[in-house]
Amino acid sequence: MINLAQKDITHTLGKFLVTAMGVGMLLGIVLIMIGVYRGMMVDAEILLNDINADLWIVQEDTLGPFAEASRVHEDLKDTLRAFEGIDKSEALTFQNLQLPGETKPIRVTAVGFDVFGKINPINPERLTAGKPLTKEHYQIVVSEETGYKVDDTLKLGRDIYRVVGVTRDTVSSGGDLLVYLSLKDAQNLQFLYSNARIRSDRARGILENKEMKMANAIVATVKPGYVIDNVANKIKKWKHESVYTRTEQKAILTKNLIERSSKQIGLFTAILVVVSTIIIALIIYTMTLEKMKEISIMKLIGIPNSMIIKMIVQETLILGVLAFIFGNIFSHLISDNFPKRIVLEIPDAWMLFGVVIVASILSSFVGVAKVIHADPAAAIGG
Amino acid sequence: MDTQGIRVENLVKKFGQGESLVNVIDGASFVVNKGELVALIAPSGAGKTTLLMMIGCVLEPTSGKIWLGEEAVYNDRWLGSDTRRIRREKIGFIFQSHYLIPFMNVIDNVTLLPQTNGLTKDKAHAKAMELLEYLEIAEKAKSMPSQLSGGQNQRVAIARALANEPEIILADEPTAALDVERSVSVVKMLKKIAQEQNVAIIMVTHDERMLVYCDKILKIENKKIIISETQNNEHIV
Repeated sequence: MINLAQKDITHTLGKFLVTAMGVGMLLGIVLIMIGVYRGMMVDAEILLNDINADLWIVQEDTLGPFAEASRVHEDLKDTLRAFEGIDKSEALTFQNLQLPGETKPIRVTAVGFDVFGKINPINPERLTAGKPLTKEHYQIVVSEETGYKVDDTLKLGRDIYRVVGVTRDTVSSGGDLLVYLSLKDAQNLQFLYSNARIRSDRARGILENKEMKMANAIVATVKPGYVIDNVANKIKKWKHESVYTRTEQKAILTKNLIERSSKQIGLFTAILVVVSTIIIALIIYTMTLEKMKEISIMKLIGIPNSMIIKMIVQETLILGVLAFIFGNIFSHLISDNFPKRIVLEIPDAWMLFGVVIVASILSSFVGVAKVIHADPAAAIGG
Repeated sequence: MDTQGIRVENLVKKFGQGESLVNVIDGASFVVNKGELVALIAPSGAGKTTLLMMIGCVLEPTSGKIWLGEEAVYNDRWLGSDTRRIRREKIGFIFQSHYLIPFMNVIDNVTLLPQTNGLTKDKAHAKAMELLEYLEIAEKAKSMPSQLSGGQNQRVAIARALANEPEIILADEPTAALDVERSVSVVKMLKKIAQEQNVAIIMVTHDERMLVYCDKILKIENKKIIISETQNNEHIV
């Protein structure tokens, strides 16, 4: 049996491929949008996973440094170490900085931690060059996307810092690149006033900047055998701070911070899928319209509707599958050029494949309707 | 020879209703035997195409009777549910323009209908090549319609019309797009096909020069059919 779809596609192969490429680019954008969402989820959890703490102790009635401003006393880490069930606890600071860049400043999130403490947020697996921080002052570990190399120097606040290590794939929940500083340097950068301000404060009778000993969160690990939730509840009760387990902190990140973004991206993706469906439907409709004379002739000479409908549906499906393949190639080719992380996952691609197949079948209905209503008499001239 | 190819009795076609009712064909009755090439002539708008479409089971008559071969297909209503099956199995169509499927080559155009009718690809190809050789266009079997001249395409269209071994052929002004020389060639070919393949052919034409090759002339005049014999009933071998 002659395959009409194959004959038609072969006859207009170039046009068909270009059309499939066009639709493929649209599907590629859908994949990129899904990849942006996946990338946000991955980015949001990088720091949380690298710190690998069981508990996050933050300012009472706040959601912690990832969601809102939080200040706790640095020495709370010492108090917590005395708590039953606590294994290790350290103070951390989080702040946004602008690193000097070649053409414009580079926005980063700086993580301050006790270089000699027992919880180190620098994941050795992400270190691509140099070493972790080894001194309490004037060292910095930067993300490689900042463009800085080991032994480069840069000025932050009043001081010159030397780059001692470079990491890869380290970004904050907001997608900003991460840099790591010692806790003291970070506190200086965050809380130290200018000399003029200090003189002004002294004149006002403010002799000491007590904020210099503040941190944004205390992270702790729980000893084996203790229930993390129980330890968290105990700290909440006695220390008047908000305490979150790692799961809760993750939920804050993914639900509170990314939920709106993911909804936005989800809506964009849905709109793009609908637009793709409409475009495929329009293309199939146009392709069918172009063949109406031939379809009328085929109906007139007795070719059954089923054979003509099969041609339309096959062409639509082949267009959908080719567009899907082109979309995947396109998305993989351009994904590295985006400033933020794009995570292209195979299950997402398969899900889109399913959507494309359903959309193609739905789209073919417009062509099929046209075929069913085609008048065979239209083939005979008056 | 002389067995019934097309028989029409008291065929009526009306369009519209009430005050806008138009009677296009009013009681047409005639017989076209197998082996005959019959011309259908009338002024534009007189109902030639309407009559052709009714015989071709494309347009439903208002009343009357139609037989195609020995099969009664219409008796005030279609007698079968699938008129397309009748078209596929009994009728070959030839149009003003060749109307070949442009995305299929010559051999595919000719084998489309036989394969749809269940003939295997090999048998359909063998039959198609026979026809193309008969119509002296076998060397173009792999060409696309766009690569052929108008006359060559019309011969392929005739091959397509013959491919399902029809009992009747309905040709709607098959020479309208051709010059005189090619028109004569096509009509002679139809005459030859009618005689050799034992097919009843009705050919709509405006060209009176072609009437000489026909066995009979059906003329639509005042919504009625007038049948006349032609003077030249030469048999072309």
